[in-house]
Amino acid sequence: MRETSLSLPAINDEAMIATEPEIPQAIDVLCSDSIATPGEILGDSSQFIAGKGSYLAPNGRNIHASITGHRRVLPPPADSTEKRSTVEVVGHKSRGAVPEPGVVVIARVTRVMARMVSADIMCVESKAVKEKFTGIIRQQDVRATEIDKVDMYQSFQPGDVVKAVVLSLGDARAYYLSTAKNELGVVSAQSMAGATMVPISWTEMQCPSTGQIEKRKVAKVLQTFFHFRI
Amino acid sequence: MEYINPLTGFRLDGRRPNEMRQIRGEVGVVARADGSAVFEMGNTKVIAAVYGPREVQNKSQQIDNQALVRCEYSMSNFSTGNRARKYKGDRRSTEISLVIRQTMEAAILTHLMPRSQIDIFLQVLQADGGTRSACINAATLALADAGIPMRDLVTSCSAGYLCSTPLLDLNYVEDSAGGPDVTVGTLVKMDKVTLLQMDAKLPIDMFADVMQLAIEGCKAIANYIREVLSENSKKLECMKGN
Repeated sequence: MRETSLSLPAINDEAMIATEPEIPQAIDVLCSDSIATPGEILGDSSQFIAGKGSYLAPNGRNIHASITGHRRVLPPPADSTEKRSTVEVVGHKSRGAVPEPGVVVIARVTRVMARMVSADIMCVESKAVKEKFTGIIRQQDVRATEIDKVDMYQSFQPGDVVKAVVLSLGDARAYYLSTAKNELGVVSAQSMAGATMVPISWTEMQCPSTGQIEKRKVAKVLQTFFHFRI
Repeated sequence: MEYINPLTGFRLDGRRPNEMRQIRGEVGVVARADGSAVFEMGNTKVIAAVYGPREVQNKSQQIDNQALVRCEYSMSNFSTGNRARKYKGDRRSTEISLVIRQTMEAAILTHLMPRSQIDIFLQVLQADGGTRSACINAATLALADAGIPMRDLVTSCSAGYLCSTPLLDLNYVEDSAGGPDVTVGTLVKMDKVTLLQMDAKLPIDMFADVMQLAIEGCKAIANYIREVLSENSKKLECMKGN
């Protein structure tokens, strides 16, 4: 018997079972690399996980975009049993940086007290923040050795630019920072005469115009030239 | 006064009963704000500026598990026909601010930004009816421009009932006629209504028609807003050099 190209499926059990539509409204689903706006359907939850810039609808089936940007599909992580790819939306506006535990930040010292130092966090890794955050360096976090014999006034002065690592989110008022490593500590400071000081050891900095030596907890910076404009 | 010409069926400004005024939207108009937009519906022109998410200024209002959304609506002195000094705290402005705040809060994914604050400032530059709707549309554009995550675009349109006909997108003259004015705000892709307001009275079967007409208007505005956002995204990509 000759089979025509337009043959209707034979009415048997198999045809009746396979009635579920596979593709949701084709006009709503976006293909890769197209621009998504909030609310648009990016994919189905059986095939994708919702990544950044997207969320799972309350009914649990569709994944919608939450910001405007390009749709991108990431392959599933190699080390987990998850088989689904991640779909995310890459927005064009970058958000201000926010300190996270474990990242290196640059902060400027505002207040020096007997047991701790207050500093304003200005940069997170290499990104400047949009609004400044407050950080605290406690006496026990200034250095790794002899932590009970630390003199805060001989480690930091107000106005010093300090490289520190974020220990934790801290309390409601400030992040907890630490300079207890060789490469952390004062990066740039001004002497009492007003000139930018040169580091001469890990505890001392010298003013180039007067020759006066002041005590600081100095960071061991590997680059040969490090210039900060205060 | 005949709001619909009995012979031609046109309204006072030459539109058909189910025709919306010309809309125009533009993002990125306020350089300092995180997100901003201008939205025009006919002669009604509104500017929206969004700041956030940023640290809560008044710590007593801070919410631990979600963002605080604040909204301020104000009309410029020169926005209406006669230059009237409008006090910022007057009842109508306060009510509209509250209404718009609730509408936008329903759409923003506030649980992603705990202990932060999102400010929406709306300024009416020209008022010719439908300022509430224009403000919501402008706020949606501004929030999308700021990159604040939202469930869906919130769009709003008004509809009324004059001379036994449902009319879409009333202007000031039609609004002052004393007939009912239904303002609807919807999440179009989710097919959900977030704002429904009406003044004056309307029989319930007419109300269904008028509300449906307003929802159709919302869908049309949503399509336009999506186009504006896509164009803006493409333009930014070109400028970035991708």
